[in-house]
Amino acid sequence: MFQKILIANRGEIALRILRACRTLGVEAVVAYSEADRESLAVQLADEAICIGPADAKRSYLSAPAVISAAIVTGCDAIHPGYGFLSEDEGFAEVVRAHGLTFIGPPPQILERFASKEGTRRLLADHGLATIPGSNGMLRDELHALEEADRIGYPVLIKPSAGGGGKGMRMVRTARELESALRVCRSEAKAAFGDDSLYLEKWLDENRHVEIQVAVDRYGHGVHFGERDCSVQRRHQKILEEAPTPALSEAARTALCERAVRAVVAAGYENVGTLEFLVDRDGTAFFIEINCRIQVEHPVTEMLTGIDLVATQIRIAAGEPLGFGQGDVVARGHAIEFRINAEDPDHEFRPQSGQIARYVAPGGPGVRMDSHVYPGYEVPSFYDSLLGKLIVWAPDRAGAIARGAAALDELVLEGLITNLPIHRALLKNEAFLEGRMTTNLLDRVGSAAFLAAANRS
Amino acid sequence: MVRHDGQRAGDSQRAGDSQRAGGARRSDAARLADHAEIDRLAEDLLPALIAKLGASGLGELEVREDDWTIRLRRPADEASGGGRKAGERATWSAGGGSGGPTVNPGSGSASGGHGASVARSLAAVGPGRAAEEPPHRAVATSPAVGVFHPRPELRAGARVRAGDRIASVDVLGIPQDVVAPVDGVLGASLVEAGEPVEYGQELVRIELLGGSGPAAPGHGTAGHGTPGHGPAS
Repeated sequence: MFQKILIANRGEIALRILRACRTLGVEAVVAYSEADRESLAVQLADEAICIGPADAKRSYLSAPAVISAAIVTGCDAIHPGYGFLSEDEGFAEVVRAHGLTFIGPPPQILERFASKEGTRRLLADHGLATIPGSNGMLRDELHALEEADRIGYPVLIKPSAGGGGKGMRMVRTARELESALRVCRSEAKAAFGDDSLYLEKWLDENRHVEIQVAVDRYGHGVHFGERDCSVQRRHQKILEEAPTPALSEAARTALCERAVRAVVAAGYENVGTLEFLVDRDGTAFFIEINCRIQVEHPVTEMLTGIDLVATQIRIAAGEPLGFGQGDVVARGHAIEFRINAEDPDHEFRPQSGQIARYVAPGGPGVRMDSHVYPGYEVPSFYDSLLGKLIVWAPDRAGAIARGAAALDELVLEGLITNLPIHRALLKNEAFLEGRMTTNLLDRVGSAAFLAAANRS
Repeated sequence: MVRHDGQRAGDSQRAGDSQRAGGARRSDAARLADHAEIDRLAEDLLPALIAKLGASGLGELEVREDDWTIRLRRPADEASGGGRKAGERATWSAGGGSGGPTVNPGSGSASGGHGASVARSLAAVGPGRAAEEPPHRAVATSPAVGVFHPRPELRAGARVRAGDRIASVDVLGIPQDVVAPVDGVLGASLVEAGEPVEYGQELVRIELLGGSGPAAPGHGTAGHGTPGHGPAS
């Protein structure tokens, strides 16, 4: 096991990793930018080190700053969290070159899975059905038009790197494709420093279902079931739940088993998530793998009782998994609500400002992962996630009831949050019946969605 | 505020010697070690503590480090009021002394042992100056997280100009320049050579020139090798 881990991230995930380190009895150092000096992770850490200014490019995204901080504080491993450098194989390689361990897949494995388009082909070779898509990266406009014709509209333009909906556009015609390509390229370039794009067939009515897996260095892999992340706004997940209401138990189990077999065969290592689109007929198409801990991992932790962050750290340290598929037992139903500092009435514009009041909800099956506290100043430089409310109950109806109660109990004052959208979701017929699709919020429009909930 | 940078070391030794004359005999090595320690505390810790005390509403501040205890106390009449400039005194002493900052070599020897009284008034430096104006001081901060390396040829007292490279911070073996934020005279180094530093950490103090400050020219010039450029005003 590691002696000391540098936590190279911020917000709620820095806190989550700190907690995992404490559980494992490993010392931790929180690396922070000047804008996060007052963050809860910094306050709770035994040791913290300022690595740069607010601008993430010079702090959380600066490989030299992060590695230098790890070295001067005597760390032997770096946990990148999610986002920032978490899936950067170049960073992982430099970390290794300095004699430190990157907590995640080893660099050569990150590299193997770095290209989303290449990963799709790799896992297709290992038996996963994949969504029809372009043959390789789009070379130019002509190539894009040819490929889109072959796949058939509508198609989704996707950047090879990154995530979070940046550089992504769904287009229905050749003309839309032409105009969107340039925008996507510049967005992808700005967000990920890489403007390679590819195309995927767009399924109008689909569910986003993902499988959580963990594979140790010795090729032992397990899955932890799936999560349904179909509640999205412009490709950004808002609410996640498990199990998915979209598939029967037999179909879920079959998909999970296929997924873990494929990633083990493809040589994956550490925790990871395989994302699938499930169409109306229940057919699951593999779209991409996330080689990191994900925002929504607590949903799975609530069902299985297994600490995924600790598992990730143990695998990176070279420990065997220590349990088999039979030991992973999922119970009940869990829902995670992403609480964002966003204004639902104004295009979900990110908000910054001071938290005037904060009261976290509690009670049976209620978990709040958040880095805010009364008086905390939410900086404007980073994503708008304030925290995650996760509820668990023996069944979906119970989880929804606990979710509604917990959302009412949650007090977050001082800035505008997206709480109304969650309250609206829990009154929405499609959601209550488990029929959410990824396009529903955008099709209805958030304003209409909120208004409908207020009428009911 | 108290002024003591630049000229302190020599004064301190003289003061220490004279005051200790009647005390127990000690080896030279022990005395030198004490002086070095006092210098270090004076340069590293005391100025920061004075600033902290000044900024706070507190009357007294005490810090323990290794064998040393430093206690900083505002004179009673000032602890409650705002005006602290005039007549402020900072006294270093071992083993008691009332009022002002006290530095105690620990291990129980403070009250009766060798260090009986290393005491002097820091306010004696530039008499009257402290009353005239608040300190004109700036601090060069770290441009990165890494290991601090001062420029060995630059000592306290050296003239520097804004933008001069006065030290570096090694980031994975690549030196990043620490530059003087203002024209002035190098003051205390707040970090030991070879120590890890974080981004934005205060590294080297710069005394601004101008007014009747205790500038200490003649120790050489930093930067681009243009000797004798005058102080900024």
